[in-house]
Amino acid sequence: MMTEGNYKYIGKSVPRHDAIEKATGKIKYVGDMKVNGMLYARLVLSHVAHGKIKSIDISKAKDLPGVVDIFTYDNSPKILYNAHKWMSGMDEVLDQYLFTDKVRFYGDRVAAVVATNDKIAKMAADLIEVEYEVLPAIIDPETSLIEDSIKIHERGNIAFSKTMGYGDVDKVFDKASYIFEDKIITPKQHHAAMETHVALAIPSGDMITIYTPCQVVFQVQLIVSEALNIPLSKVRVIKAPMGGSFGGKGQPIIEPVCAFLAKETGRPVRLTLDRTQSIIGTRTRHKTIGTVKTAVDKKGKILGRDLDIVIDSGAYHTNASAIAMAMGKKFFRMYKMDNVRYSATSVYTNTPVGGACRGYGSPQLHAITELNLDNVARGINMDPVEFRLKNLVHPFDKDPMGGPDLGNGQIIECVKRGAEAFGWKEKWKRPKDSGRYRKGVGMACGTHGNGYYGAYPDFITMDIKMNSNGEVILNSAIHDMGCGTVTIMQQIVAEVLDLELSKITVLEGDTLSSPYDSAGTQASRVTYVCGGAAKKISEILKDKFAKYSSKILNCYEEDIVMEGGYIYNKNKPDKKVGYGDMVSNIYHQYSMDMSASYTYSSPANPGVYAANFVEVEVDTYTGLVNVLDIVAVHDIGRAINRDFVYGQVQGGIHLGLGMAISENIELDENGRISTLNFSNYHVINAPSMPDVRIILIEEEDEFGPFGAKSVGEISAVAIAPATLNAINNAIGTNISQYPATPERIVEALVKTKK
Amino acid sequence: MEGGNQVELNMIVNGKKHNIDINPSDRLLDVLRDQLGLTSVKEGCGEGECGACTVIMNGDAVNSCTVLAIQARNKEIITTEGLEKNGELDELQKSFIRNGAIQCGFCTPGMLMSCKALLMKNPYPKEEEIRRAIEGNLCRCTGYTNIVKAVKDVVIR
Repeated sequence: MMTEGNYKYIGKSVPRHDAIEKATGKIKYVGDMKVNGMLYARLVLSHVAHGKIKSIDISKAKDLPGVVDIFTYDNSPKILYNAHKWMSGMDEVLDQYLFTDKVRFYGDRVAAVVATNDKIAKMAADLIEVEYEVLPAIIDPETSLIEDSIKIHERGNIAFSKTMGYGDVDKVFDKASYIFEDKIITPKQHHAAMETHVALAIPSGDMITIYTPCQVVFQVQLIVSEALNIPLSKVRVIKAPMGGSFGGKGQPIIEPVCAFLAKETGRPVRLTLDRTQSIIGTRTRHKTIGTVKTAVDKKGKILGRDLDIVIDSGAYHTNASAIAMAMGKKFFRMYKMDNVRYSATSVYTNTPVGGACRGYGSPQLHAITELNLDNVARGINMDPVEFRLKNLVHPFDKDPMGGPDLGNGQIIECVKRGAEAFGWKEKWKRPKDSGRYRKGVGMACGTHGNGYYGAYPDFITMDIKMNSNGEVILNSAIHDMGCGTVTIMQQIVAEVLDLELSKITVLEGDTLSSPYDSAGTQASRVTYVCGGAAKKISEILKDKFAKYSSKILNCYEEDIVMEGGYIYNKNKPDKKVGYGDMVSNIYHQYSMDMSASYTYSSPANPGVYAANFVEVEVDTYTGLVNVLDIVAVHDIGRAINRDFVYGQVQGGIHLGLGMAISENIELDENGRISTLNFSNYHVINAPSMPDVRIILIEEEDEFGPFGAKSVGEISAVAIAPATLNAINNAIGTNISQYPATPERIVEALVKTKK
Repeated sequence: MEGGNQVELNMIVNGKKHNIDINPSDRLLDVLRDQLGLTSVKEGCGEGECGACTVIMNGDAVNSCTVLAIQARNKEIITTEGLEKNGELDELQKSFIRNGAIQCGFCTPGMLMSCKALLMKNPYPKEEEIRRAIEGNLCRCTGYTNIVKAVKDVVIR
């Protein structure tokens, strides 16, 4: 249903609030900010994958005119921390220093140079000579499982492991007549935000103010406070314009370093990473190796499923446990099955560090399971759409693991509508091409969440006030990452208060002035949870305004009408008072301010679903894949801003398609990385990117604001398996390692011929 | 190298003549950003692969990170700051806004420059030509859909 409801602002495609500033290039990202006395910092990263630092010769760098100071393990705090920790009380493995004395991956932080200009800082960083005692490295996560002679950390190479499930999986697999097993590998992916990591820290008295394009200001504050051992009240973090994150700027990676440099030098310091450093030295999507088994009966009912997944955490723990749990949760929320087991083991390797990446494990999980399901369908000679429809969850099904209710989950409708729009039946039955260019079709389903309810505290406090101009200010620690969050909040407030968008100011995160938010802009929680809070607090303000206005207008509260910036008694529609004038009247007559504060705690965490359909053409000579058509159907509850939803899907598909066919951080057996820039780390460009046909299913969610659910992460979940299924369908292969690069495709074709 | 022999550079940037001293090794990107304060010009990769630093030099879209500033001697440069005329946005800027072609905005100035260079040479480009013109401009947010749409929209109008 594409109903727009009776809404004035909800569902409308208004431009994002900062579009003009961005279109004119006037917006100041942190890299564009300059403050008096500012120094410039650059990092030195490890060029060996595993080793003890024997010596660091900084003499040449230090002699360079303009170099202010150089910091290494020797002259920096020895406080272990974990940048993944976003709120106090989270019990995490602490295993990182600002600068290390033992490097654990090609890209580990060794030193920082502070200089009077950026060019000198870069030159000085290149002049620092590090001598290592090179240690044997573990690159392959499966080796890490069994290799105990090489210790990346003293605590061993297993970072986390967990098994969960229900039913009797072993019994089902003993008895089932059809069992299909696949081992599938997903890549380490770089987020490729166009803005590399950058932060600016300004010391003033005993306070440090940090400007950063971050996702969670309170997390940056917490980590800086812990890593530098300074009180929270002495760290102020201000969210700066964000040149893309996709999870890559979720954990405070460079902020604690930048804050330290500013503290030590007593001057403002801007720390910038170049592209290579952003690729190797920040975070990546976790590589995973999944062995999945599915048992079915001959009618296509899934009897049981067993997934054993090895998650490559890279050299540090960060979110090794959270990612395993997040992936596991999704495993139980898409198909109805009676016997399910999920076993995950996160291991350390001497490779770049895993972190959040758009979808937080869901893209990997589905890349594994949805590929296997196509093999099941093929094995029992059933159309993969029919097969999935037999097994998908229905609206209002429960989570069999006792997790939050799935809510009004519309995955069946997504598959049906998508199959129809795509022309699935005809294309699936089409005779196979046998020439050089071969077409194929594939599809996949995906699920993701709406915040942290059921797993972590998920609440946000918002302050709202209306001034005597009738303008509204919403103050909270939200972070617009370019998705349009500020405008989404404006639209929600506008709808409740019936006020035009230009009169609504929505502030972003600033730890000094924003009320507390428990979890920041992650976990697909912003529209659902923070949007829910914006709606609730607007309603509270509306009630308060109506209450006082009714006294002034001498009428019942229920007779009060708020409309387009005017408030009146519905029985006296000719006596309209502007919101601002009424606020002023309330000041004078009741000594009362039109403001409110409210802490909203998320009441639910339904599933959000998508089905993607893909048609490809594979060049069997070169292995190149041409993506001809994509249909993406999304169960989003309701679009707050329709264009923004489309934008999220288009961007999510781009990232997921990269995972499917071209993107991988390549490491050799010594852990050296060859994909150091976009010349060989292949992000899909415009001529290779198809337009996506997007269909939105808008069946409202009970708890989301105006029925809305998340879209930012789910958009990247189903596309990779749908694409690889299409490739395998086109050329009759069973490629099970992402990305399906031309080399892998040609290799698979050669194998098929034998 | 800092403190090396400075050379004089004359160039026209956004219609204004500039006469400045630069180091011969300075990239055009750094001179535009640091000396002229034109921070719409972004560095995304430093190797001419992402297009965030694209400017127009004598009518051609170039990556200012791989062009030395002295190569711009006596040439005419346009950056995004130069698109606005008399307080009014260029049609292309308006179209980017109208069509949702901007999300995080970091690639936007480079995209605008590549598209503007295309339109200056070819006022009626086909979709394939638009995509070709921005093949060196990476965007992680939009899947390029609305950027292509925005250029088409300018053409139609």
